[in-house]
Amino acid sequence: MKQKLARLGLNGRLALIAFTLGLIALFAGNPYQGSQVTLDAKELGIMVDRQVDHITVDELADWIIKGRSDYRLIDLRPENDFSTYHVPTAENVTVAGLTEYPIQRNEKIVLYSEGGIHSAQAWMLLKALKYRGVYILRGGLEEWRDRILFPNIPENPTPDQASLLETMKEVSRYFGGTPQARGQGKDSPASALTLPKLEMPSSGSPAVAGKKKKKEGC
Amino acid sequence: MNAPFYKYGLFQDEVSLVVAFVIGIGFGFFLERGGFGNGRKLAAQFYFTDMTVLKVMFTAIVTAMVGLYYLSVFGVVDLALVYVNPTYLLPQVLGGLILGIGFVIGGYCPGTSCVAVSTGRIDGLVYLLGIVGGIFVFGEAYPLVKGFYFSTPMGQITLPQLFNLPYGVLVFAVVAMALGAFAAAEWGEKKLGSRIVEN
Repeated sequence: MKQKLARLGLNGRLALIAFTLGLIALFAGNPYQGSQVTLDAKELGIMVDRQVDHITVDELADWIIKGRSDYRLIDLRPENDFSTYHVPTAENVTVAGLTEYPIQRNEKIVLYSEGGIHSAQAWMLLKALKYRGVYILRGGLEEWRDRILFPNIPENPTPDQASLLETMKEVSRYFGGTPQARGQGKDSPASALTLPKLEMPSSGSPAVAGKKKKKEGC
Repeated sequence: MNAPFYKYGLFQDEVSLVVAFVIGIGFGFFLERGGFGNGRKLAAQFYFTDMTVLKVMFTAIVTAMVGLYYLSVFGVVDLALVYVNPTYLLPQVLGGLILGIGFVIGGYCPGTSCVAVSTGRIDGLVYLLGIVGGIFVFGEAYPLVKGFYFSTPMGQITLPQLFNLPYGVLVFAVVAMALGAFAAAEWGEKKLGSRIVEN
Protein backbone atom coordinates (compact mmCIF):
# COMPACT_ATOMS: atom_id res chain seq x y z
CA MET A 1 0.00 0.00 0.00
CA LYS A 2 2.72 2.42 1.04
CA GLN A 3 4.78 1.55 -2.00
CA LYS A 4 1.80 2.14 -4.24
CA LEU A 5 1.29 5.60 -2.73
CA ALA A 6 4.94 6.44 -3.20
CA ARG A 7 4.75 5.51 -6.87
CA LEU A 8 1.82 7.84 -7.51
CA GLY A 9 2.79 11.16 -9.07
CA LEU A 10 1.58 14.52 -7.79
CA ASN A 11 -1.51 14.32 -9.99
CA GLY A 12 -2.34 10.88 -8.70
CA ARG A 13 -2.06 12.01 -5.11
CA LEU A 14 -4.23 15.06 -5.68
CA ALA A 15 -6.79 12.84 -7.39
CA LEU A 16 -6.72 10.53 -4.40
CA ILE A 17 -7.29 13.44 -2.00
CA ALA A 18 -10.20 14.71 -4.11
CA PHE A 19 -11.72 11.24 -4.22
CA THR A 20 -11.39 10.81 -0.46
CA LEU A 21 -12.96 14.20 0.23
CA GLY A 22 -15.78 13.37 -2.17
CA LEU A 23 -16.32 10.06 -0.41
CA ILE A 24 -16.48 11.72 3.00
CA ALA A 25 -18.89 14.31 1.59
CA LEU A 26 -21.37 11.48 1.02
CA PHE A 27 -21.81 11.27 4.77
CA ALA A 28 -20.93 14.77 5.91
CA GLY A 29 -24.46 16.13 5.50
CA ASN A 30 -25.94 19.31 4.19
CA PRO A 31 -23.62 22.31 4.04
CA TYR A 32 -26.47 24.70 4.69
CA GLN A 33 -26.82 23.29 8.20
CA GLY A 34 -23.29 24.29 9.06
CA SER A 35 -24.04 27.90 8.32
CA GLN A 36 -26.75 28.34 10.91
CA VAL A 37 -26.07 30.94 13.52
CA THR A 38 -27.69 31.77 16.79
CA LEU A 39 -28.74 35.25 17.73
CA ASP A 40 -25.65 36.72 19.30
CA ALA A 41 -26.80 39.47 21.65
CA LYS A 42 -23.29 40.86 22.08
CA GLU A 43 -22.63 40.96 18.34
CA LEU A 44 -25.95 42.70 17.74
CA GLY A 45 -25.20 45.14 20.54
CA ILE A 46 -21.88 46.04 18.99
CA MET A 47 -23.54 46.56 15.62
CA VAL A 48 -26.05 48.93 17.19
CA ASP A 49 -23.32 50.81 19.07
CA ARG A 50 -21.20 51.26 15.99
CA GLN A 51 -24.22 52.20 13.92
CA VAL A 52 -23.10 49.94 11.08
CA ASP A 53 -26.73 48.94 10.73
CA HIS A 54 -27.67 52.43 9.55
CA ILE A 55 -27.64 54.13 6.23
CA THR A 56 -28.22 57.84 5.93
CA VAL A 57 -30.79 59.51 3.70
CA ASP A 58 -27.89 61.00 1.72
CA GLU A 59 -26.52 57.56 0.95
CA LEU A 60 -29.95 56.29 -0.07
CA ALA A 61 -30.55 59.30 -2.31
CA ASP A 62 -27.17 58.68 -3.91
CA TRP A 63 -28.05 55.02 -4.58
CA ILE A 64 -31.38 55.90 -6.14
CA ILE A 65 -29.84 58.57 -8.38
CA LYS A 66 -27.13 56.15 -9.46
CA GLY A 67 -29.83 53.61 -10.26
CA ARG A 68 -28.30 50.94 -8.07
CA SER A 69 -30.39 47.79 -7.88
CA ASP A 70 -28.48 45.74 -5.33
CA TYR A 71 -30.77 46.61 -2.44
CA ARG A 72 -34.43 46.27 -1.50
CA LEU A 73 -36.03 49.32 0.03
CA ILE A 74 -38.86 48.38 2.36
CA ASP A 75 -41.51 50.90 3.45
CA LEU A 76 -43.08 49.68 6.69
CA ARG A 77 -45.87 52.26 6.91
CA PRO A 78 -49.56 51.52 6.33
CA GLU A 79 -50.71 51.14 2.74
CA ASN A 80 -52.55 54.46 2.41
CA ASP A 81 -49.52 56.39 3.68
CA PHE A 82 -47.46 54.51 1.15
CA SER A 83 -49.77 55.41 -1.70
CA THR A 84 -49.69 59.09 -0.70
CA TYR A 85 -45.93 59.27 -0.86
CA HIS A 86 -43.01 56.89 -0.67
CA VAL A 87 -39.33 57.05 -1.43
CA PRO A 88 -38.74 55.98 -5.05
CA THR A 89 -37.98 52.25 -5.51
CA ALA A 90 -39.64 51.39 -2.16
CA GLU A 91 -41.84 48.35 -1.65
CA ASN A 92 -44.66 48.42 0.87
CA VAL A 93 -44.63 45.67 3.49
CA THR A 94 -46.01 45.77 7.02
CA VAL A 95 -43.90 44.48 9.89
CA ALA A 96 -46.27 41.55 10.35
CA GLY A 97 -46.08 40.71 6.66
CA LEU A 98 -42.28 40.73 6.52
CA THR A 99 -41.82 37.04 7.20
CA GLU A 100 -43.93 36.02 4.23
CA TYR A 101 -42.59 38.67 1.88
CA PRO A 102 -40.31 37.30 -0.84
CA ILE A 103 -36.92 38.64 0.19
CA GLN A 104 -33.83 36.48 0.11
CA ARG A 105 -31.73 36.13 3.22
CA ASN A 106 -28.70 37.42 1.37
CA GLU A 107 -30.23 40.59 -0.01
CA LYS A 108 -29.33 44.03 1.20
CA ILE A 109 -32.48 45.27 2.86
CA VAL A 110 -33.07 48.89 3.80
CA LEU A 111 -35.98 49.52 6.16
CA TYR A 112 -37.75 52.76 6.80
CA SER A 113 -40.83 53.91 8.64
CA GLU A 114 -42.14 57.33 9.63
CA GLY A 115 -39.64 57.88 12.42
CA GLY A 116 -37.48 54.94 13.26
CA ILE A 117 -39.22 52.78 15.82
CA HIS A 118 -40.94 50.43 13.42
CA SER A 119 -37.85 49.96 11.34
CA ALA A 120 -35.77 49.26 14.45
CA GLN A 121 -38.25 46.63 15.53
CA ALA A 122 -38.37 45.10 12.08
CA TRP A 123 -34.56 45.13 12.01
CA MET A 124 -34.42 43.02 15.15
CA LEU A 125 -37.07 40.70 13.75
CA LEU A 126 -35.19 40.12 10.52
CA LYS A 127 -31.88 39.72 12.35
CA ALA A 128 -33.45 37.04 14.51
CA LEU A 129 -34.64 35.31 11.35
CA LYS A 130 -31.00 35.31 10.18
CA TYR A 131 -31.29 37.88 7.46
CA ARG A 132 -27.81 39.31 7.14
CA GLY A 133 -27.72 42.62 5.33
CA VAL A 134 -30.47 44.56 7.11
CA TYR A 135 -30.14 48.32 7.44
CA ILE A 136 -32.26 51.08 8.91
CA LEU A 137 -32.74 54.36 7.13
CA ARG A 138 -31.61 56.72 9.86
CA GLY A 139 -34.33 59.17 10.80
CA GLY A 140 -36.86 57.46 8.57
CA LEU A 141 -39.17 59.32 6.25
CA GLU A 142 -39.07 62.41 8.49
CA GLU A 143 -35.39 62.83 7.81
CA TRP A 144 -35.89 62.08 4.11
CA ARG A 145 -38.41 64.92 4.03
CA ASP A 146 -36.23 67.36 6.00
CA ARG A 147 -32.89 66.64 4.38
CA ILE A 148 -33.64 65.46 0.85
CA LEU A 149 -37.01 66.83 -0.25
CA PHE A 150 -37.10 70.13 1.62
CA PRO A 151 -33.57 70.87 2.80
CA ASN A 152 -32.84 74.11 4.62
CA ILE A 153 -30.45 76.19 2.59
CA PRO A 154 -28.79 79.13 4.37
CA GLU A 155 -29.26 82.36 2.45
CA ASN A 156 -25.66 83.54 2.65
CA PRO A 157 -23.53 80.42 2.37
CA THR A 158 -19.79 80.59 2.86
CA PRO A 159 -17.85 79.79 -0.33
CA ASP A 160 -16.85 76.32 0.82
CA GLN A 161 -20.46 75.54 1.65
CA ALA A 162 -21.69 76.70 -1.72
CA SER A 163 -20.93 73.65 -3.84
CA LEU A 164 -22.34 71.31 -1.23
CA LEU A 165 -25.52 73.34 -1.03
CA GLU A 166 -25.80 73.35 -4.78
CA THR A 167 -25.68 69.54 -4.74
CA MET A 168 -28.34 69.47 -2.03
CA LYS A 169 -30.58 71.66 -4.16
CA GLU A 170 -30.11 69.47 -7.20
CA VAL A 171 -30.84 66.32 -5.23
CA SER A 172 -33.93 67.91 -3.76
CA ARG A 173 -35.23 68.86 -7.22
CA TYR A 174 -34.42 65.40 -8.59
CA PHE A 175 -36.82 63.91 -6.09
CA GLY A 176 -39.43 66.58 -6.76
CA GLY A 177 -38.88 68.57 -3.58
CA THR A 178 -38.20 72.26 -3.00
CA PRO A 179 -35.14 73.57 -1.20
CA GLN A 180 -36.13 75.88 1.67
CA ALA A 181 -34.43 79.13 2.52
CA ARG A 182 -33.34 79.16 6.15
CA GLY A 183 -36.01 80.30 8.55
CA GLN A 184 -38.82 79.57 6.18
CA GLY A 185 -38.82 75.90 7.14
CA LYS A 186 -39.45 76.80 10.77
CA ASP A 187 -42.67 78.68 10.03
CA SER A 188 -44.22 75.99 7.91
CA PRO A 189 -43.53 72.53 9.25
CA ALA A 190 -42.13 70.25 6.61
CA SER A 191 -45.09 67.91 6.80
CA ALA A 192 -47.37 70.69 5.61
CA LEU A 193 -45.36 71.15 2.44
CA THR A 194 -46.80 69.41 -0.54
CA LEU A 195 -45.15 66.09 -1.10
CA PRO A 196 -44.07 65.46 -4.66
CA LYS A 197 -46.25 63.49 -7.00
CA LEU A 198 -45.45 59.85 -7.27
CA GLU A 199 -44.70 59.73 -10.97
CA MET A 200 -41.31 61.25 -10.19
CA PRO A 201 -38.31 58.97 -10.62
CA SER A 202 -40.35 56.54 -8.56
CA SER A 203 -40.46 52.95 -9.71
CA GLY A 204 -44.23 52.95 -9.24
CA SER A 205 -45.97 49.81 -8.09
CA PRO A 206 -44.25 47.51 -5.64
CA ALA A 207 -44.82 44.61 -8.03
CA VAL A 208 -42.49 46.19 -10.56
CA ALA A 209 -39.86 46.91 -7.94
CA GLY A 210 -40.04 43.32 -6.76
CA LYS A 211 -39.07 42.04 -10.17
CA LYS A 212 -35.85 44.00 -10.15
CA LYS A 213 -33.03 41.98 -11.63
CA LYS A 214 -29.93 41.61 -9.56
CA LYS A 215 -26.76 42.08 -11.47
CA GLU A 216 -24.10 39.99 -9.89
CA GLY A 217 -21.78 37.17 -10.77
CA CYS A 218 -19.77 36.83 -13.93
CA MET B 1 -15.53 35.26 11.38
CA ASN B 2 -17.67 34.21 8.50
CA ALA B 3 -17.44 34.62 4.76
CA PRO B 4 -18.51 35.97 2.28
CA PHE B 5 -17.04 39.13 3.78
CA TYR B 6 -18.68 41.54 1.35
CA LYS B 7 -22.18 40.32 2.18
CA TYR B 8 -21.52 40.77 5.88
CA GLY B 9 -20.68 44.39 5.22
CA LEU B 10 -17.07 43.96 6.38
CA PHE B 11 -15.97 46.16 3.55
CA GLN B 12 -17.69 48.50 1.15
CA ASP B 13 -17.83 48.82 -2.62
CA GLU B 14 -14.51 50.63 -2.92
CA VAL B 15 -12.58 47.96 -1.03
CA SER B 16 -14.41 45.25 -2.94
CA LEU B 17 -13.04 46.73 -6.16
CA VAL B 18 -9.50 46.46 -4.78
CA VAL B 19 -10.15 42.87 -3.74
CA ALA B 20 -11.59 42.10 -7.17
CA PHE B 21 -8.51 43.64 -8.81
CA VAL B 22 -6.10 41.55 -6.77
CA ILE B 23 -8.04 38.33 -7.38
CA GLY B 24 -8.40 39.17 -11.07
CA ILE B 25 -4.67 39.75 -11.50
CA GLY B 26 -3.95 36.46 -9.75
CA PHE B 27 -6.49 34.63 -11.88
CA GLY B 28 -5.07 36.07 -15.08
CA PHE B 29 -1.49 35.32 -14.04
CA PHE B 30 -2.17 31.66 -13.41
CA LEU B 31 -4.25 31.32 -16.58
CA GLU B 32 -1.26 32.66 -18.52
CA ARG B 33 1.18 30.38 -16.72
CA GLY B 34 -1.15 27.47 -17.46
CA GLY B 35 -0.79 28.18 -21.16
CA PHE B 36 -4.23 29.77 -21.51
CA GLY B 37 -2.87 32.81 -23.31
CA ASN B 38 -2.28 30.71 -26.42
CA GLY B 39 -5.22 30.42 -28.82
CA ARG B 40 -3.80 27.33 -30.50
CA LYS B 41 -3.51 25.47 -27.25
CA LEU B 42 -7.05 26.43 -26.30
CA ALA B 43 -8.54 25.50 -29.66
CA ALA B 44 -6.73 22.16 -29.59
CA GLN B 45 -9.16 21.19 -26.84
CA PHE B 46 -11.92 20.98 -29.41
CA TYR B 47 -9.89 18.59 -31.57
CA PHE B 48 -9.11 16.47 -28.51
CA THR B 49 -5.38 16.77 -29.09
CA ASP B 50 -4.69 18.85 -25.97
CA MET B 51 -7.04 18.39 -23.06
CA THR B 52 -5.49 21.08 -20.83
CA VAL B 53 -8.65 23.21 -20.85
CA LEU B 54 -10.80 20.36 -19.63
CA LYS B 55 -8.31 19.39 -16.96
CA VAL B 56 -7.82 22.93 -15.67
CA MET B 57 -11.53 23.74 -15.68
CA PHE B 58 -12.56 20.52 -14.01
CA THR B 59 -9.77 20.89 -11.44
CA ALA B 60 -10.98 24.39 -10.65
CA ILE B 61 -14.58 23.18 -10.34
CA VAL B 62 -13.67 20.30 -8.05
CA THR B 63 -11.36 22.45 -5.90
CA ALA B 64 -13.94 25.21 -5.51
CA MET B 65 -16.78 22.77 -4.90
CA VAL B 66 -15.00 20.64 -2.32
CA GLY B 67 -13.57 23.76 -0.67
CA LEU B 68 -16.91 25.54 -0.43
CA TYR B 69 -18.65 22.39 0.69
CA TYR B 70 -16.31 21.69 3.57
CA LEU B 71 -15.91 25.33 4.60
CA SER B 72 -19.67 25.65 4.90
CA VAL B 73 -20.04 22.29 6.67
CA PHE B 74 -17.58 23.63 9.23
CA GLY B 75 -19.51 26.90 9.38
CA VAL B 76 -16.79 29.15 7.96
CA VAL B 77 -18.72 30.14 4.83
CA ASP B 78 -22.43 30.83 4.74
CA LEU B 79 -23.37 29.10 1.51
CA ALA B 80 -26.83 30.66 1.57
CA LEU B 81 -25.18 34.04 0.99
CA VAL B 82 -23.17 32.98 -2.04
CA TYR B 83 -24.85 34.34 -5.12
CA VAL B 84 -26.29 31.81 -7.54
CA ASN B 85 -26.97 33.01 -11.06
CA PRO B 86 -30.60 32.47 -11.98
CA THR B 87 -31.15 29.86 -14.68
CA TYR B 88 -32.92 30.74 -17.92
CA LEU B 89 -32.64 27.44 -19.74
CA LEU B 90 -33.11 28.15 -23.45
CA PRO B 91 -31.30 31.49 -23.64
CA GLN B 92 -28.37 30.02 -21.70
CA VAL B 93 -28.19 26.95 -23.95
CA LEU B 94 -28.13 29.22 -26.99
CA GLY B 95 -25.60 31.53 -25.35
CA GLY B 96 -23.39 28.55 -24.52
CA LEU B 97 -23.50 27.38 -28.13
CA ILE B 98 -22.59 30.83 -29.44
CA LEU B 99 -19.73 31.05 -26.95
CA GLY B 100 -18.53 27.57 -27.96
CA ILE B 101 -18.58 28.39 -31.66
CA GLY B 102 -16.71 31.61 -31.00
CA PHE B 103 -14.23 29.68 -28.86
CA VAL B 104 -13.42 27.21 -31.66
CA ILE B 105 -13.16 29.90 -34.33
CA GLY B 106 -11.31 32.54 -32.33
CA GLY B 107 -9.30 30.30 -30.05
CA TYR B 108 -10.24 32.21 -26.91
CA CYS B 109 -13.00 32.63 -24.41
CA PRO B 110 -13.58 36.15 -23.02
CA GLY B 111 -11.27 35.74 -20.02
CA THR B 112 -8.42 34.11 -21.90
CA SER B 113 -8.55 36.75 -24.62
CA CYS B 114 -7.70 39.35 -21.95
CA VAL B 115 -4.84 37.11 -20.84
CA ALA B 116 -3.64 36.92 -24.46
CA VAL B 117 -3.79 40.71 -24.83
CA SER B 118 -1.69 41.16 -21.69
CA THR B 119 1.16 39.27 -23.34
CA GLY B 120 0.82 41.35 -26.50
CA ARG B 121 -0.93 38.89 -28.81
CA ILE B 122 -2.61 40.60 -31.75
CA ASP B 123 -5.24 37.85 -32.16
CA GLY B 124 -6.23 38.32 -28.54
CA LEU B 125 -6.61 42.05 -29.10
CA VAL B 126 -8.81 41.52 -32.15
CA TYR B 127 -10.88 39.03 -30.17
CA LEU B 128 -11.28 41.53 -27.33
CA LEU B 129 -12.39 44.24 -29.75
CA GLY B 130 -14.92 41.76 -31.09
CA ILE B 131 -16.24 41.21 -27.58
CA VAL B 132 -16.63 44.93 -26.99
CA GLY B 133 -18.38 45.29 -30.36
CA GLY B 134 -20.64 42.36 -29.53
CA ILE B 135 -21.54 43.83 -26.15
CA PHE B 136 -22.43 47.10 -27.87
CA VAL B 137 -24.64 45.37 -30.46
CA PHE B 138 -26.31 43.29 -27.79
CA GLY B 139 -26.90 46.36 -25.65
CA GLU B 140 -28.52 48.21 -28.53
CA ALA B 141 -30.60 45.18 -29.54
CA TYR B 142 -31.59 44.41 -25.95
CA PRO B 143 -35.22 45.60 -26.26
CA LEU B 144 -35.66 43.18 -29.20
CA VAL B 145 -34.24 40.12 -27.46
CA LYS B 146 -35.47 40.91 -23.96
CA GLY B 147 -38.42 38.51 -24.21
CA PHE B 148 -36.19 35.59 -25.12
CA TYR B 149 -33.51 36.68 -22.64
CA PHE B 150 -35.85 36.09 -19.70
CA SER B 151 -37.69 33.07 -21.13
CA THR B 152 -37.79 29.60 -19.53
CA PRO B 153 -36.83 30.89 -16.08
CA MET B 154 -35.99 28.29 -13.44
CA GLY B 155 -34.90 30.63 -10.67
CA GLN B 156 -31.74 30.35 -8.61
CA ILE B 157 -31.64 26.60 -8.80
CA THR B 158 -28.74 24.32 -7.88
CA LEU B 159 -28.11 20.72 -8.95
CA PRO B 160 -29.00 19.19 -5.55
CA GLN B 161 -32.36 20.98 -5.72
CA LEU B 162 -32.93 19.99 -9.33
CA PHE B 163 -32.24 16.30 -8.83
CA ASN B 164 -33.55 16.31 -5.27
CA LEU B 165 -30.34 14.67 -4.08
CA PRO B 166 -28.42 15.17 -0.85
CA TYR B 167 -25.66 17.72 -1.33
CA GLY B 168 -22.87 15.30 -0.42
CA VAL B 169 -23.99 12.79 -3.05
CA LEU B 170 -23.68 15.44 -5.72
CA VAL B 171 -20.24 16.46 -4.50
CA PHE B 172 -19.13 12.85 -4.75
CA ALA B 173 -20.71 12.42 -8.19
CA VAL B 174 -18.95 15.50 -9.59
CA VAL B 175 -15.60 14.42 -8.14
CA ALA B 176 -16.05 10.94 -9.64
CA MET B 177 -17.04 12.50 -12.96
CA ALA B 178 -13.94 14.72 -12.93
CA LEU B 179 -11.59 11.86 -12.12
CA GLY B 180 -13.14 9.80 -14.90
CA ALA B 181 -12.75 12.71 -17.30
CA PHE B 182 -9.08 13.17 -16.30
CA ALA B 183 -8.33 9.51 -16.92
CA ALA B 184 -10.12 9.58 -20.28
CA ALA B 185 -8.30 12.79 -21.23
CA GLU B 186 -4.86 11.36 -20.46
CA TRP B 187 -5.69 8.23 -22.42
CA GLY B 188 -7.05 10.22 -25.35
CA GLU B 189 -4.05 12.52 -25.48
CA LYS B 190 -1.71 9.57 -25.74
CA LYS B 191 -3.77 8.09 -28.57
CA LEU B 192 -4.47 11.23 -30.58
CA GLY B 193 -1.76 13.63 -29.49
CA SER B 194 1.08 11.45 -30.71
CA ARG B 195 -0.29 11.36 -34.24
CA ILE B 196 -0.37 15.12 -34.64
CA VAL B 197 2.84 17.08 -34.85
CA GLU B 198 2.99 20.00 -32.43
CA ASN B 199 2.86 23.35 -34.16
